[in-house]
Amino acid sequence: MKKFIFIIIFLILSSNGFSANEELKNKIYKNIRCIVCQGQSIYESNSDFAIDLKKLISKKLDNGENEKQIYEFLISRYGEWIVFNPGLNFNSLALWLLPLIIFMIGGFLIFRLNNRKKK
Amino acid sequence: MAGYIGNLALFFSLIFNGFLIFLLITRIRNNNFKNLKTINFFNNSIFFLLLISFLTLIYCFIVSDFSNVAVYQNSHTTKPLIYKISGAWGNHEGSMVLFILILSLFSFVFVRTKVSEKLKFYTVFFQAILILIFLIFLILTSNPFDRMDPKPLQGLGLNPILQDPLLAIHPPFLYFGYVGFSLVFSFALAGLVTNNFDKSWSKIANFWIILPWSLLTIGIGLGSFWAYYELGWGGYWFWDPVENASLMPWLAATALIHSNIVTLKKDKLHSWTALLSIFTFIMSLLGTFLVRSGVLNSVHAFANDPYRGVYILSTILFITFFSLAIFIIKSPKKSLYGKYYFFQRDNFILINNCFLIFFLSVVLVGTVYPIILDAISGKSISVGPIYYHTILAPFLFVFLFFMSHGPLLSWNKEDKFLQIKNFKIFFPISIVISSVIIFLFFDYKDIILILGLLFSVYLIVSVIFDWVSQKKLSLNFGRLVSHFGFGTLIFAIFINAYLSKEINAAMKVGDEIKIQEFTIKFKSINRIKKENYEEVFGNFLVANKDKKVELTPSIRKYDQPVQFTSETSIKTNFIVDYYFAINLSEFEKDKIMVRFYYKPLMFWIWLSILLIAFGGIYQTFRLRNEK
Repeated sequence: MKKFIFIIIFLILSSNGFSANEELKNKIYKNIRCIVCQGQSIYESNSDFAIDLKKLISKKLDNGENEKQIYEFLISRYGEWIVFNPGLNFNSLALWLLPLIIFMIGGFLIFRLNNRKKK
Repeated sequence: MAGYIGNLALFFSLIFNGFLIFLLITRIRNNNFKNLKTINFFNNSIFFLLLISFLTLIYCFIVSDFSNVAVYQNSHTTKPLIYKISGAWGNHEGSMVLFILILSLFSFVFVRTKVSEKLKFYTVFFQAILILIFLIFLILTSNPFDRMDPKPLQGLGLNPILQDPLLAIHPPFLYFGYVGFSLVFSFALAGLVTNNFDKSWSKIANFWIILPWSLLTIGIGLGSFWAYYELGWGGYWFWDPVENASLMPWLAATALIHSNIVTLKKDKLHSWTALLSIFTFIMSLLGTFLVRSGVLNSVHAFANDPYRGVYILSTILFITFFSLAIFIIKSPKKSLYGKYYFFQRDNFILINNCFLIFFLSVVLVGTVYPIILDAISGKSISVGPIYYHTILAPFLFVFLFFMSHGPLLSWNKEDKFLQIKNFKIFFPISIVISSVIIFLFFDYKDIILILGLLFSVYLIVSVIFDWVSQKKLSLNFGRLVSHFGFGTLIFAIFINAYLSKEINAAMKVGDEIKIQEFTIKFKSINRIKKENYEEVFGNFLVANKDKKVELTPSIRKYDQPVQFTSETSIKTNFIVDYYFAINLSEFEKDKIMVRFYYKPLMFWIWLSILLIAFGGIYQTFRLRNEK
């Protein structure tokens, strides 16, 4: 038993988040909404808007800006709507918490049913 | 002319439906449940009238009768026949006719099955109410036979990305699925009202849950497959609100299938099963609302009209309120009572339901929350794939673990030690298999990938173990196939997500580029003129160290309406897909933008979805033969 846990820990530790510049670019593209399209990211679009934005992002990356700075810049310019990842903030609190609360209620009910027998 | 017949049939079906409801109410009042003849007559007539109406609409599309508004807006004389036909349900009006036709079809088939008369009466009654609501909606807000005068000479055409053979059959499957859940909804209300919600209810309901569930599974799979090869971005699931809309009833129905088994086997969990039966159909309605109302910003939202949205939304609220009221008043008293031991099958099904409802709430909240936030505070946020992946992944792993052990548990006896023994068999095997895969194929490791592979392999191992230890295979064959399919699906999804590669470049004829381990050569270009579009093919040769593939993606220019689409070229050896798409570039006029994707195990994703659906279909046939 202990061996297995050990193996898992080893696997976790040996993992590293290596990613090339190209992958980071695509990751950012996929997270930016093409606001002139219908529900697509700029990665999945060839509209002028998407192409311009892709160029802009790629330039900013070359200038040494990081992912977070790019998002902040885009949000300040286009609003929060532009990023697909809502992050955790006041506006999106319920988004993350509601499902978790539902899960906990379910878990609690099952827990109670399991302990009913002891009566 | 045909349009008049269709319209007339539609009105008559409304009148007949009114008669039917009136008749049912008087019969129910007099407590007279004998003699189904007149009921059957009306029920059959409604179905045939709707069928006539639907066929006439198809006919109008085939002959391009542009005096019909729906045909004018969605068709064109140069469109190939198959898309003229599928155009009939490729638009809002026509798809609503199909929606009502399926409501009626399920009622039509249901009265022919062996069910107690009282239950039959009430089920037909609730189904008739649903038909009434949607018929009124159809006739008032979206009559498919609206006419225009003078008759235009030519139609506006169908959106080219919808002109696809798969998309011709995808909506009917989807509709059979989620409109099919209406029957179990009506049947549940009937069971509640007549105090017949018990084991025998479950036995009949089983068929009516699993059948639409299987069809919906295929429908979702077809939609995903279409998105994969038609949209041209190598993706197959975008967490697009319209995709989510079809996933919600699927998740609810999956929970229902399982809870219904507990009701059937142990005569427990009645209230929950009843609630899920209601809830599944409400999810279908919500999906219809999201797709049809135009509140969404989505690739699929091809039919938008705010008035329709308001009508459907109030309809959903009415149906929800009404059915929940029945549920609360008539809820079976036995409900959750009964003993639950942790290591017992029924308890693991409770856990399964808890997870599935969680998944459902994630999809539901993720889809609806931005709309509500926007309405309340005017703030727009986007909820994309990252949200879903982050919140779902950790729960998915635990879910897979429970799913591996659940079916191995006994219904009546708690046996903890047997499961620990099983764990000691499955775990080392899956550790070894997943480690080998990771060390062979991945040059970087990610904890999510490791856990995803580990637990999906764990599930597959447990299903195989379960399979070989079956005494009578046919009994559990459906479940084994579906569960196995789910295991391979998750496995393929993870491998695909981490091993996919892509190359983007601008090329002209004669160019050869070398990126990563691939060499791409742009050999030539040729042009073809078809009836309703012009197509430019690029011939490419893609090679890596062990394979050479020729791919011929293209760009189409449609005449009506004028629109460019890019057609992908995909070659598969069942392990890896080589996927190529091209499009025109605004900035580099003399070059073409090329996108090449290397997509492993795509075939296994489609196969897994088919396995999941096949398990369900097998089970429905087995249920039928049992009767």
